[in-house]
Amino acid sequence: MDFGSEIELARRSSSGGLRSILKMSPAKRREARWGLFFISPWLIGFLLFYLAPMVVSLIFSTYNFTLSAPDDAQFIGLSNWQRMLFDDPKTWESLFVTLKFALISLPISMITAFMLAVLLNSKHLLGRNLFRTLFYAPTMVPLIAAILIWSAVLNPQTGWLNRVIEFFGIPAVGMNGLRWMDDPNLIYIAYTFIGLYGIGNAILINLASLQNVPTELYEAAEIDGAGWVRRLWTITIPMVTPVIFYNLVLSIVGLLQFFIVPWVLNRGNGYPEGTTNYYMVYFYKQAFTFQNMGYGAALAWLMFIVALIITMFLFSTGRYWVYYSGKQRS
Amino acid sequence: MTATTLRSLSPYQIAKRRRNLLLSMGVTLAALILLMIYLMPLGYGVISSLKTKSQVDDPQGPLLPSETVKYEYEGQQYDVYYMPTETGIQEWALVRRGRSNSDFVDINNPEVGLIYWEGNWRQLDPVHELSFQWNNYPEAWDTIEFPQLLANTLVYAFVTMIGTLVASALVAYGFARFEFPFKNLLFIILISTIILPPAVTLVPTYAFFIHVLNWGGTWLPLIVPQMFGNAYNVFLLRQYFLTIPTEMEEAARIDGAGPFRTFISVILPQAVPALTAVALFHFFFAWNDFFGPLIYLAGNRKGNPITVGLTEFNGLYSSETQLILAAAIISMILPLTIFFLAQRVFIQGIVITGVDK
Amino acid sequence: MNRFKAFSMLAVSVLFLLVSVGTLSAQDRIQIRWYVGLGGGTDAPLIEREEQVAADFNASQDEIELTIEVVDVDQAYDVLSTQLAAGNGPDVVGPMGIRGRASYPGAWLDLTSLIESTNYDLSDFDPALVDFYHVEGDGQLGIPFAVYPSFMMYNRALFDEAGVPYPPTAYGEPYVDWDGNEREWNMDTLRELAMILTVDANGNDATMDEFDPESIVQFGYGTQFTDLRGRDTLFGAANFVDDAGNAIIPDNWRAAEHWYHDAMWKDFFYPNGVYGNSELLGGQGGNWFGTGNIAMVTIHSWFIGWGTADLEAEWDFAPVPSYEGVATAKLHADTFGIMKTTANPEAAFTVLTYLLGERADDLTTLYGAMPARLSLQDGFFGRYTESLGETYPNVDWPSLNWDVVVAGLAHPDNPNHEEGMPAFLETSARYGEYITLVDNNADEDVDAALDTLQSDMQAIFDAAAQ
Repeated sequence: MDFGSEIELARRSSSGGLRSILKMSPAKRREARWGLFFISPWLIGFLLFYLAPMVVSLIFSTYNFTLSAPDDAQFIGLSNWQRMLFDDPKTWESLFVTLKFALISLPISMITAFMLAVLLNSKHLLGRNLFRTLFYAPTMVPLIAAILIWSAVLNPQTGWLNRVIEFFGIPAVGMNGLRWMDDPNLIYIAYTFIGLYGIGNAILINLASLQNVPTELYEAAEIDGAGWVRRLWTITIPMVTPVIFYNLVLSIVGLLQFFIVPWVLNRGNGYPEGTTNYYMVYFYKQAFTFQNMGYGAALAWLMFIVALIITMFLFSTGRYWVYYSGKQRS
Repeated sequence: MTATTLRSLSPYQIAKRRRNLLLSMGVTLAALILLMIYLMPLGYGVISSLKTKSQVDDPQGPLLPSETVKYEYEGQQYDVYYMPTETGIQEWALVRRGRSNSDFVDINNPEVGLIYWEGNWRQLDPVHELSFQWNNYPEAWDTIEFPQLLANTLVYAFVTMIGTLVASALVAYGFARFEFPFKNLLFIILISTIILPPAVTLVPTYAFFIHVLNWGGTWLPLIVPQMFGNAYNVFLLRQYFLTIPTEMEEAARIDGAGPFRTFISVILPQAVPALTAVALFHFFFAWNDFFGPLIYLAGNRKGNPITVGLTEFNGLYSSETQLILAAAIISMILPLTIFFLAQRVFIQGIVITGVDK
Repeated sequence: MNRFKAFSMLAVSVLFLLVSVGTLSAQDRIQIRWYVGLGGGTDAPLIEREEQVAADFNASQDEIELTIEVVDVDQAYDVLSTQLAAGNGPDVVGPMGIRGRASYPGAWLDLTSLIESTNYDLSDFDPALVDFYHVEGDGQLGIPFAVYPSFMMYNRALFDEAGVPYPPTAYGEPYVDWDGNEREWNMDTLRELAMILTVDANGNDATMDEFDPESIVQFGYGTQFTDLRGRDTLFGAANFVDDAGNAIIPDNWRAAEHWYHDAMWKDFFYPNGVYGNSELLGGQGGNWFGTGNIAMVTIHSWFIGWGTADLEAEWDFAPVPSYEGVATAKLHADTFGIMKTTANPEAAFTVLTYLLGERADDLTTLYGAMPARLSLQDGFFGRYTESLGETYPNVDWPSLNWDVVVAGLAHPDNPNHEEGMPAFLETSARYGEYITLVDNNADEDVDAALDTLQSDMQAIFDAAAQ
């Protein structure tokens, strides 16, 4: 199964859906009923907790709606959309910033998470349980402590990071040293580094999927004399592509919504040189700080559309590289 | 290939064992180095949580939690410094600080009285001794009513974990194995709920819970939606179910099991690692959930989870870095213990799904 | 199929059950919500005492049920916005300053009719202070609660170590310097004094050639916990808006910005962005003075007590220095407001008058504020220092120079440094970006940055005027 054809199917079935239901054989109808039974919890939850709020927020985007004065909201048609798409340069600037950061950060964090999972799955690693727990630990650091830790560690003058680098003989400490949060050339590296503190879940998913690779495949390959790299490349990675795919989609979605780190580290002021003006930071500033919820809703919907396009694109490429060993019953 | 029938070890096996030992040491060492780099910032947090406030504020001070050695002279405490003298390095207490001259007391010869010294005391090294402020932990524990916060967080995380696990597994199975009308469209919609920034639906969702359901100040707005599954978990489990071969389900069906029983008896046991992962994720997500509890529990301070309770520490009126860090580390202990123990389930996962196919 | 039906039935009934449980708890008392977070009042020890005030109120009568919602200041604005947008706003909000009020334009109830209908007695307040809360077009948005004068605090131990005399003890007095010369207590004197009090790791001070700005361990001076308008007000009160509603950079503020930039990057006695957020000064947004690593700060009275709880050194109050002959001690004035959306304005007003009347004494002592009620000002410092002594016994409170604190009230900033601006939130976010820029970059051109700031603010004002 792949998503390219799923989208195609979705298109077709939504046009002729009812007719095809009527034409169903009894067996198919039974299966459909069971399928709907299984997905019913989500379906009910979606209708209750998602659909209505989504529609309402779409309506917001056509209003001049100040958060603190909801009664004074005025219908202004597509003005918010026009401002966002054509008059407000910050929309595209912040989208560009977000995409640029995603391109830098995504491969680093995905590869790190996967390689760490491989390491933590290695039967040669002594004390695996402890290692796994410790590598997961940073994910559990509460937000408030994380702010304190990162602003202290990255401080150019007193932070540990620069002092460690200096220890290896590279001048880093001081006003003319490595200023992680002030230098537009370093800021994305610093943020990526901070982001690595949130990859615990990705490691965990990778790890769970590595456990699922049948061991006899490795044994067979070993007999064939395949080296570690070749085994990784020809067995492990293909077997876990569904989970890599999952991580990829979630990482991209997560990066498009990148918000918490810049928000807590510099209150979303874009410093230095606007490099931290991420899209969601801009959205949050408009919607909550400046209380322009109407405009904020339009911005959020644009992000939704962009993310949807990227995700659909990813799904359509899935057929070429994602391997599912189980098949759908049909 | 089974070589266990051989009585004695062949040279090949000896070589292999030696290779494995070297490999183990190499891999473990590499992991250790990586871990040290990776945990450096967290290490900063742990070490700082064991310092006094003045040590945290002294970036020039020693790396490990220490205290400057004090000496009592005429009822007052003074810092002790290493003082180079003609008779070698002595330990002197700094009684009066001055830019170009200061007064000291030789702590081994206090009867001599104040010694006038010309020079800048800042160029002297203070005498430090290791001193771990373990007290920061009980102090943090007491200050923010930890047991209450812990209980709230635990109940919230556990209840929603069970709820979302059951619901998400059902939904994921539905999407993974059945054909029904609009299935693909529905799946796209499911995925899109992940993509939708939560902030955009915040105001209408909040209004719905507060006005329509009248759930303000309760945990219900945070718990109930989880009972209907969660798109992240559904997506993950569906990806998993798709990798499970269908033969056993076919067999169960031939034996007369209905889809629900097949799901319970065939799919769930095979998906233990993924289910564990989902359960852990959710547990940890709930453990660190901040903004949801913050807005829905405003006015119900007794119901706060740990994350919100921690903010009281960080208010304008008290920025006790070492206490915040201590509290944060306490709050991490339980989930990390659970993680550590949950490893067993992963290992079990290999046995069930890996070897015997 | 049966299973499917059963499941749906179950899900629906569970949902209804939850809904009915949620709505069952109907109360007969009028519910009034008191929201704390737009100013101070959100720290653990304070919350308990605020909850006690609410409990006392509930025990004192049986018409109104007062509940208190405390949200940390970092999130308080967003949470309040969300509540308001969803039509779930609180009734009473406070304590809050002008900034809190200005952040929610149009959301506050005009108290005039309630004051009239209840014959509320305003004679116990300075009329000028009552007028402070009167906003043109919106009406009387608050009743005076408390004022927080500002002053300088200096660390005696660091002066002793440097061997320089302490700052003057009263407004108008000169500073007798280290050579015995009398100097006007102004920004130039402050600069020279602060440079001597700035020391690197080798013990060299900022006036020396050997001084190493990369290893500073002690700073001379800083304006703590304020924003751009706050720090520039030391050079005279002004605002970024002129009479015609256009964006301006007042000349004295431009001079102030040059002074600060030189202080950070040329004379090094003022913590720049990097040092200011390092552990040396308490970390991100840290309490500079509380670390003992800075000799002088200017700050408000809400800092008193908790701000020096961990400071071992002795310290005292001093007058703020003057600029061009005028000393400006910026003023914070707090009040409680009632939100327009309240369903029970009378009950909310009852709560408001309880907080501003019967409990004004407790609450002002709690928040470190000087009561706005004239009748409470007599003997205030006696009660206040006694209460401080109980909580913070590390300081000999009565021995401090409280006169200079009170005298600061005679040098208020007018216009106030938190005065309204068009698109208040957007404008203050924009000038916050300016501070981050110039405080973190030595070679930033202050004039150019201010000019950009002005044109950006003008654009924001223009957009707001539409």
